[in-house]
Amino acid sequence: MIVFSEVVKRYPGGHTALDGISLEIERGEMVFLTGHSGAGKSTLLKLIAAIERPTAGLVTVNGQNVGRLNRHAVPYLRRNIGLVFQDHKLLFDRSVMENTILPLMIAGATRREALKRARAALDKVGLLEREKSMPITLSGGEQQRLCIARAIVSRPALLLVDEPTGNLDAEYAAVILGLFQDFHQVGATIVIATHDERALALPRTRTVHLELGRLA
Amino acid sequence: MMRWLRYHRHAFLLALRRWLGNPYAALFATLAMAAALALPGSLYLGYANLAQLGGRLPAQPQITLYLKADIDGATLARLRQRLMHDGELASARFVSKTDALAQLQADGLANPLAGLSDNPLPDAWVLTPKDPSPGALAHLSREYANWPGVDQISSDRMWAERLAAALALVQTLALFIAALFAIALGAIAGNTIRSATLARREEIQVSRLIGASDAYLRLPYLYQGLLQGLAAGAATLLILALLMSLLDGPVGTLSALYGSRYSLLFLSPSQQALLVCFPALFSWLGAWLSVTRTLHRVDRPSS
Ligand SMILES: Nc1ncnc2c1ncn2[C@@H]1O[C@H](COP(=O)(O)OP(=O)(O)OP(=O)(O)O)[C@@H](O)[C@H]1O
Ligand SMILES: [Mg+2]
Repeated sequence: MIVFSEVVKRYPGGHTALDGISLEIERGEMVFLTGHSGAGKSTLLKLIAAIERPTAGLVTVNGQNVGRLNRHAVPYLRRNIGLVFQDHKLLFDRSVMENTILPLMIAGATRREALKRARAALDKVGLLEREKSMPITLSGGEQQRLCIARAIVSRPALLLVDEPTGNLDAEYAAVILGLFQDFHQVGATIVIATHDERALALPRTRTVHLELGRLA
Repeated sequence: MMRWLRYHRHAFLLALRRWLGNPYAALFATLAMAAALALPGSLYLGYANLAQLGGRLPAQPQITLYLKADIDGATLARLRQRLMHDGELASARFVSKTDALAQLQADGLANPLAGLSDNPLPDAWVLTPKDPSPGALAHLSREYANWPGVDQISSDRMWAERLAAALALVQTLALFIAALFAIALGAIAGNTIRSATLARREEIQVSRLIGASDAYLRLPYLYQGLLQGLAAGAATLLILALLMSLLDGPVGTLSALYGSRYSLLFLSPSQQALLVCFPALFSWLGAWLSVTRTLHRVDRPSS
């Protein structure tokens, strides 16, 4: 489903974040992406969602060259991807509920349908009773869970998750990981960037280790 | 189709909420735009009223043919024959030199002539054309100038032409100013939308990350521009109506002094509709330009 071949990503300013990555992720696979801070984990996820474009090499998703994707095609790619951002990227002038339904509204769902699905998603991350709160009043871990709710609300076939458990205690980390496993069970492809040891303790999951922009 | 409608409904409601949620900015922009529109609007009203006045003030423009002193009876008869049957004339009236002198004396103006033994005034025909336009006057004057026995011609043509020229000037001016202010209007509208988009930069970025297209992001701002323009058009209409009601009293008094009753002309319903739609269009255009610009500037992926 996702193929990297000889991918180089050099940021403006000259820093090489990824240096010759070749990698294949099958449909329905759940992959953990590990590595030290600055190893290039977030960069790799951003290339898949066409948030960044490769300097050299090829990134394809479902056979589509996402590095050369037309500006107008990018939104359609992203609507099929659930993104959990390392810095959450919440809208602080909207309630928890309004944040959660955003992807559904963008996809053109009816508000009633969107609210229903958003409640289910918020329930899964344990934020249902906070639906009317503003994100600023949420704790770091709660903001993280809100970001996860927003990523899963449209039940995407591909989930790209950047550091989902960094701010969570063991109990919630387990809940969230269980959530991703459930998605995995029903066929979603999931890539999780993390340096959380607890996540890596999960059985039967593939781990890709990055070191200074290279596979190790 | 349903989805398309939903997008528009959603965008419209969002625009309305944002617009009303910031009433001072909305009021300020609306007033600025309405002020910009009221100037060409009132100029146009001035033009329309003068044109209407011009059409009826000189009850009817007239042409006077002064005849040669030595005109013979046969020429005079032919001229009379011709004038009485000219289809372009509403009326033709002969004023003999005796009548003219009597009229002058009645007006108390004949004193300068008192010392003269002979009546120096010429015989004359006073013609009223059916078509009062300057063009028709000029045409008739040219035609009769060449007739035998006609010495001189005077007509109200000059007066009519001057009025028409002045009106054309006012009209051109109004159009020119309207064009300038349309640009100003778009700029004002675009600017308010620009600050609105910049204030929501983050929202644009995040929405884009989760799959919003430019068209989707643009839509609420276009509606905001449209609303703003409609409000400005309506406000202009109010301003012009207020101006007319302020002027109506003085104009009534003035026209009563001249023994007539002139009531001011306002915009026709279709012109009123145009006055509301025109700023809406330009405001929409201004919004489109500025939101498109912002969308291009808010981050694109590097490669
Ligand atoms: N927008 C950017 N411009 C310039 N350099 C960048 C940019 N984003 C990341 N980098 C650099 O690229 C390298 C890889 O960054 P990346 O965010 O992918 O690391 P990471 O593995 O996600 O780290 P962490 O675990 O801390 O999140 C880092 O050295 C970083 O400084
Ligand atoms: Mg990272």
